[in-house]
Amino acid sequence: MKGRLTAYAGYQLRDYFVTRALPTLIASGLAAWGLAAARGITLSDLDPAGGIDARDRIQQTFELVLATFAFVAGAAAAHGVVARHRARGYDRLVFSRPVSPVRYYTQGFVLAGIGAVILGAVGTEVYAVAVHPVSLPGVAGYVALAWLLVGGLAFLLSTVTAFYLPILVLVLAADLALDHFAGALSAAGAGAVAAILQFALPPAHVLVTLRGEFARGLAVDPRALAWPAGFGIACIVAAMVLLRRRPFSS
Amino acid sequence: MSTASDAGPAGAGGTVAGAVIELSHVSKTFASRSASPARALDDVSFRVAAGEVGGISGPAGAGKSTLLAIAAGQLRPSSGSVRIDGIEPRRFVEREGIAYMPQPLALPGGWRVADALTRLAVLSGVRPTYTKHRVEAAMRELGLYDDRRRRVRSLKGDARLRLGLAQAIVADHRVMILDEPLDGMGPESLDRLRELIVRLRAFDRAILIASRDTAELQRLTDRVTLIDRGRTRRPSTPRRATPADVEGVFHITLHHGGEHVLAVFPNAISLGRSTYAVRVAGFGPLNQGLRELLDRGALLAAVTPAHAAVDTNALAVNEVGT
Repeated sequence: MKGRLTAYAGYQLRDYFVTRALPTLIASGLAAWGLAAARGITLSDLDPAGGIDARDRIQQTFELVLATFAFVAGAAAAHGVVARHRARGYDRLVFSRPVSPVRYYTQGFVLAGIGAVILGAVGTEVYAVAVHPVSLPGVAGYVALAWLLVGGLAFLLSTVTAFYLPILVLVLAADLALDHFAGALSAAGAGAVAAILQFALPPAHVLVTLRGEFARGLAVDPRALAWPAGFGIACIVAAMVLLRRRPFSS
Repeated sequence: MSTASDAGPAGAGGTVAGAVIELSHVSKTFASRSASPARALDDVSFRVAAGEVGGISGPAGAGKSTLLAIAAGQLRPSSGSVRIDGIEPRRFVEREGIAYMPQPLALPGGWRVADALTRLAVLSGVRPTYTKHRVEAAMRELGLYDDRRRRVRSLKGDARLRLGLAQAIVADHRVMILDEPLDGMGPESLDRLRELIVRLRAFDRAILIASRDTAELQRLTDRVTLIDRGRTRRPSTPRRATPADVEGVFHITLHHGGEHVLAVFPNAISLGRSTYAVRVAGFGPLNQGLRELLDRGALLAAVTPAHAAVDTNALAVNEVGT
């Protein structure tokens, strides 16, 4: 008897929307609100009739919200797929069935990524109709890239430890901080060390930089894409290898 | 009568024909950062053949659940060998799947009973056309039909155990491993479990049950292995015949044609409801007799390996014609 893992995909996609879609929207909404407040952006800035300056502010705010959503959605795509599934002991019952843990978890992660892209696309469409037109394929592509990088890393970490979420936040923050202080570090003579560290860390800063091109539907330099995409793919492959070697928590 | 289990564990790679679950000199040590490594199992061996129901008994903390998790391929032994149908358990599970009831039963609390069973039937490979039927049949058999819309988190004690059993029988697996199915089970559910084990007993199915209730386990199973603190305290002793026996007892249920049974199997014993216990000298004579029975116009409904000494002697008073 062969398990019907493909037929189970509908359940996994439904699980994403039931358990993770709303928390993703709330978490990214709160994070975006915090960032906007820190930058002094208010609701009155979002008036489309406010001229070129206002439109620029609207576009910048949207890009900020998009980047925040993409990071949160990427992490949420991996949330509950492996670490929590194992911690709660669900793996014992599911993997007594004729299914491969690698396939089951990877399928769940990929479907959550598709769910995140759908969620981002729907939100963008609503925004485009209500506020200001933006590139739907660009937004979808950006969320997919964030899923690959942030989600891929979260997926890998969740196969190793139950505390993957704080580690993920720490690693991503380290990369962003390193990028932010790159100039100061170079001036202090620690430029080489910073550069090496940044190559070892996930290129979250590249993802942040690319948000404008994606949101405006502009052509993106493939070389700029290669680093975050390659890093994410490497993480997913490593996670699959680890899952093959250690399918259960114990 | 001797079974493969009496002969002691097979050596590495020496799988005995007919043995479905086979653990040989299995030890398991759990590493600990704070204390010294804990030895959960120490040189445990046993075998459950096809058509057999095996039992593992012992007090809490004896290592029963560890043993079952190893048999189910969810834990790797520190040493020793484990085989299901001659291959490594994890490979067997990924190829065929097993009916496994872990303890505790962990399922997402938000799932509804029918939904949980449907999901697990899909993962088990039950064909789409049969899924609904199998799920409903499992719920009815375990008395869960009225609870089908309840959420898993609302099920407690006995109902949760019945859900554990229902998910195990929702698909037709050749290997069944049940961890503490009796723990907290009410009398009505216990009756259901007894009937279930009798129904599931089949030529090609091996059933392994672990429980603290040794007395009940002896009623349910063909052999009970007693373990304590990870070591075998009493090696398994066969209580009933198995299909691996040279001479065996089988239950034959007929739809009609019961009047021909005595002519074909002169030693047949009527068990009522068109079911007969017959003693034959192996599979050859059994099949020959069944062929003859069919030739005489009987319609066969079921054939299962049955009891030996204890139960057939007890039933001897009901011989055909008396």
